[in-house]
Amino acid sequence: MLKYILRRIILAIPVLLGVSIVSFMIISLAPGDFLDSYRLNPAVSADQVKNLEKRFGLDKSPVVQYFIWLKNILKGDWGDSFTYQIPVWDLIWRRVGATLLLSITTFIFTWGIGIPLGIYAALHQYSLGDQIVGVIGFIGLSIPNFFFALLFLFFAAKTGGKIFPVGGYISLGYDSFPAWKKFLDILWHVLGPMITLGTSGLAGTMRVMRGQLLDELKQDYVEFARAKGMPENVVIYKHALRNAINPIITALGFSISGLLGGAVLTENVFGWPGMGQLIIEALLQQDIFVIMADIMLASVLLVLGNLIADILLAAVDPRVRLRLG
Amino acid sequence: MSTTSGPKTMNPAWAQETSSTDIIGWVLDTLVHSSNKGLAELPGLAKEFSAKVTEDGKTVYTYVLRKGLKWSDGQPLTIDDVIWSFEKIWFDNDMTANGNAGYMDSNDALPTIKKVDDYTVQFIYNSKFRRGHESIGWTEILPKHVLEPYYKEGKFKEAWSLADLKSVVASGPFVLKTYKEGVRVVLEKNPYYYRKDKNGVQLPYLDQIVYVIVKDLNTERLKFEAGETDIYSPTAEEFPEIRAMAEEKGWVVRQGGPNLGSNFVTFNFNAKDPVKRKWFRNDHFRRAIAYAIDKQTLIDVLYNGLGAALYGPVSPSSGFYNPAVEDLGFRYSLARAKRELKKGGFVFKGGKLYDADGNPVKFELTTNAGNNVREEIGNILKENLSKLGIDVNFAPMQFNALVGKLVATGDWEAVIIGLTGSVDPASGWNVWRLDGGLHFWNYSPEVKPKMFDDELKADYVVPDYEKRIDEIMRLQVSAVDKDELRKLFDEFQMLVAEHQVLVYTVAQNYLIAYKKSVHIYNPDPNPAAGVLWAGWNIWKDQ
Repeated sequence: MLKYILRRIILAIPVLLGVSIVSFMIISLAPGDFLDSYRLNPAVSADQVKNLEKRFGLDKSPVVQYFIWLKNILKGDWGDSFTYQIPVWDLIWRRVGATLLLSITTFIFTWGIGIPLGIYAALHQYSLGDQIVGVIGFIGLSIPNFFFALLFLFFAAKTGGKIFPVGGYISLGYDSFPAWKKFLDILWHVLGPMITLGTSGLAGTMRVMRGQLLDELKQDYVEFARAKGMPENVVIYKHALRNAINPIITALGFSISGLLGGAVLTENVFGWPGMGQLIIEALLQQDIFVIMADIMLASVLLVLGNLIADILLAAVDPRVRLRLG
Repeated sequence: MSTTSGPKTMNPAWAQETSSTDIIGWVLDTLVHSSNKGLAELPGLAKEFSAKVTEDGKTVYTYVLRKGLKWSDGQPLTIDDVIWSFEKIWFDNDMTANGNAGYMDSNDALPTIKKVDDYTVQFIYNSKFRRGHESIGWTEILPKHVLEPYYKEGKFKEAWSLADLKSVVASGPFVLKTYKEGVRVVLEKNPYYYRKDKNGVQLPYLDQIVYVIVKDLNTERLKFEAGETDIYSPTAEEFPEIRAMAEEKGWVVRQGGPNLGSNFVTFNFNAKDPVKRKWFRNDHFRRAIAYAIDKQTLIDVLYNGLGAALYGPVSPSSGFYNPAVEDLGFRYSLARAKRELKKGGFVFKGGKLYDADGNPVKFELTTNAGNNVREEIGNILKENLSKLGIDVNFAPMQFNALVGKLVATGDWEAVIIGLTGSVDPASGWNVWRLDGGLHFWNYSPEVKPKMFDDELKADYVVPDYEKRIDEIMRLQVSAVDKDELRKLFDEFQMLVAEHQVLVYTVAQNYLIAYKKSVHIYNPDPNPAAGVLWAGWNIWKDQ
């Protein structure tokens, strides 16, 4: 097992290298660079722009820039953000807390509600409950996130911000709250973005779960189990469900890579201080090292997520064997 | 209060966006403050200041510090802090993002600094130089005792970055208390601030200012409506709605003059196509375009009527504005545009416009995509020009690509763009001087050798009015006398407007709404001095 994991990790290195080359070149190919806003600023002279170009290393060709970047990374230096003048990881770590809080609560919301609802829908196929659950799911799926977020905030504002807060991360008086209230305050604020993101993911999980389980329930072995008088609960939860869960686990692996990705539109509307906001600003300003660090982070998480999904699959499904080949 | 983005750094030498400089403005004080007309004429850290031209042609700026100034950590703020800030940081090209060009006189020389006594410092320029007062007076004074260690280690750039906010000390009315990125900035009153009111009460009145960071403009408005924020800058679109609600909600809603920034149409005098080049250099052609811009419609469509037409390079909100530019009569009139085109040798044939050599008139117009105002100006202009038989291909492009074309390759025909403005027209010297780095419509081949091939180089022309504008921009630097300066700037504005070097469009008015419980000090908020001007005098009902 350990050998398998090690091998997967070694295989990931060329993948990551490839990702870094392609993304670095694409960013460099985009017209302009970080200093463009300086170039159009009447207060900055052309000499000073040249001076800064040299200092930021933007006067070299993209290929040279890439190798300098790579060399520095091997030394452990991921570069400084041009805008903030601090190391990029410093910048990213500051956002990790809020990002993880939102993505993990959303994750729990989507999967914690989606799977049971999917199972319910499959077991009561074509019943009124199934229809209602389906409709709710599709409404969540079809309303764009930013619009749902606005509706949510509109509701919050009309009720005077008492039931739900009008966006944000903490309340005005946060600093004077006792510790337990601080904790509750943040949880209260996460509800809005969580419900927004959660409802859009809900339908997907629910429908996959429902479809898979229905497929399994039509299999011969289920009929056989029932025929031999096995209790319905055991048939469904011990046999059919375990077989149906595989695609869900694969999807779970993928969602691990999204944990630190942030959600730009929803974050913007709610004023949630997550990674998405940071990255979109970096992209607009062509703050290249911040973008690269984020891309690399996402790639590593994707590789890890897949690995974890594969291991989990082997754990839940004895038919799956991890082979070195 | 809400803001769309938090500060990126608290280091004033590296801060670029207003999101950073707005906060720094509360924390770090300057020698001189601006009046509510945006002129540098009120005492700040310096209680007295003067400018003198000596007999041998030198300019001496003298600043006398207030007594007993202290940083927010209790350390005294002395003349050594002032001298250190300028000598080591602001005058050193490598220490700041903008470079030191702003402090240089017309000979590109920096002033020498002379410490007269423990409270008085002089900056001596070897020539007549008028801008020194603004550039020196408006510069943030830095705490030597805090920042010198960074400087000595060669790490000044990283000082007071987000990772280092604990060491920020203040000389202004507020200190930075907490900053949670993407969440909010909390400023707290500086107990050592030097101002007291008439009754001897320590200023500022407010205990705290909280900037809530809200990216989305709709959310920002909802927060104001729900009463979570006290001050809000509405867009022109929503302004009438906000005004209608003001009575019921207990808000004060105000409108000031047009903003200082500008949006204009510019034509490339050195376009790659020699035929088009000739049109763009033709005064009559550009004047015709000016006549074809329906400014009133633009104001109505873009700003709900809450804007002003611009006729020249200086905003009507500036104290230097010359209202005579309005009398030149560049108001919307297709008939006049046609007359102007005929004067310029253009011919109408079958509803289309041809130049004297029989070439049909059509050109590419672009702007940065995503800027609604500029895109709308482009659409309306395209439609109006089609009525003149001019075929405009309007295709907005990405900002960086546009900048590349403007300042690097020169491969463009017509562009709608804007530049940040300020009260003093000379802040645009880089735009107007012939060798300026932003003289993009007619770069000199010496400044941008890569833009010119031999054929284009031979065809490079500088019209007389451009030469005169260039001269004015050099002369104004040493125009210490106020009347002389005004005369120069009046002439400059007339030249630009008369020849429509850049064809100016419209600007939105300054719009603001705030709760009645907030007592704003500025009697007349305007783009040069908003509601937060002299913020230490603002107070709020409990």
